[in-house]
Amino acid sequence: MFIETSRDGKEHTKAQLEKPIVRLPVPILEEVEDAESRKISDLGLVRQAQHEDVGAYDELVRRYQDRIYATVYHMTSNHEDANDLVQETFIKAYRALKTFKGDSSFYTWVYRIAVNKTINFLKQRKNRQHMSLNDVDHNAEHDPDLVALVSEKTPRRDLNLAELQDKLNGAMLKLSEHHRMVVTLHDIQGLSHEEIGAIMGCNVGTVRSRLFYARQQLQANLADYLK
Amino acid sequence: MNSGPEKFEELRKLMALKRHEQPPPEYMHQLPDTIITRIERGEGQLNLWDKLTANFALRPSLAYAFGLTVCGALGLSGGYMVRQEMLRAGDSSLEATLRAPPVDTFASQSKPAATPLHVANWLGNTNPAADSQMELPLFSTSRTTIPVSYESGN
Repeated sequence: MFIETSRDGKEHTKAQLEKPIVRLPVPILEEVEDAESRKISDLGLVRQAQHEDVGAYDELVRRYQDRIYATVYHMTSNHEDANDLVQETFIKAYRALKTFKGDSSFYTWVYRIAVNKTINFLKQRKNRQHMSLNDVDHNAEHDPDLVALVSEKTPRRDLNLAELQDKLNGAMLKLSEHHRMVVTLHDIQGLSHEEIGAIMGCNVGTVRSRLFYARQQLQANLADYLK
Repeated sequence: MNSGPEKFEELRKLMALKRHEQPPPEYMHQLPDTIITRIERGEGQLNLWDKLTANFALRPSLAYAFGLTVCGALGLSGGYMVRQEMLRAGDSSLEATLRAPPVDTFASQSKPAATPLHVANWLGNTNPAADSQMELPLFSTSRTTIPVSYESGN
């Protein structure tokens, strides 16, 4: 067997030497500290906003507007509706800020308001679903997953991203509000099952079963575009 | 239940497309200003009931105390009304007793209390003395014999 001694004096086989070094994702201490300081800072901002400091609340809005907007947008598939709902969510959160005890994070609390507002809105709008989709950014064309999906595996090779986007949103709208919410929070937003359970007020088992069912439904509805 | 990543791998790739849907470039810069302007304008103010329920959510003991207070107030007002009714009924009966003319015991024994004639007709009996008929149950199987008097000329 070919054995070589490296600079640090350890012996390695040839196969080991040829193998590329893979860095495991280790949480960087700075990131953890940053997250901690942000958490404390969130609470600090909330305390200031509770004393009617609108500037502090403005900062909180800036921190979470992207995520709240994305969640509401993916639920409604309509930019105008998402815009209204996001504004109402943050206004309602500000008015109810005095009831915020700090048991959960501000982020979870605002999410909960947004989720309830969106689900109520969708139940009222039940039969009037109208899509108003945002444009797909330029990075999508270089996303390896999407490139592979569109150019190789999709039976309709002429299918472009805009059409695929339309079909995907249509399939999402066929799901019930709760199933759509779980898929949005998990598969698009990347939240954990536990976080989703805390936001939606249900246990992790329910989240898992809803996610499984929703994915099955989506897969069935998008069968032509997946294989 | 196989909810593993391999089963939905293609779907996961497709869902990546949703993450690329972005709002107009300036939208996120303008949104906080719009929200703060609406807040400063006083929109979304909570009404009294909303404030109350918000406080209940914050302090459940407050909700229990509020419930007890409401139940107590209802009970007290109910009791007070019943008492008032009883007092009023007692006063009126006392007043009626005081205002009533002195009772002629002989007359009352010889002549039974008069039943209005239309009531007697409704009962199918024109005998004004047969007012005890009114107290019979409607579907009673045991019929009592009603004495009929022909002296009054009917």
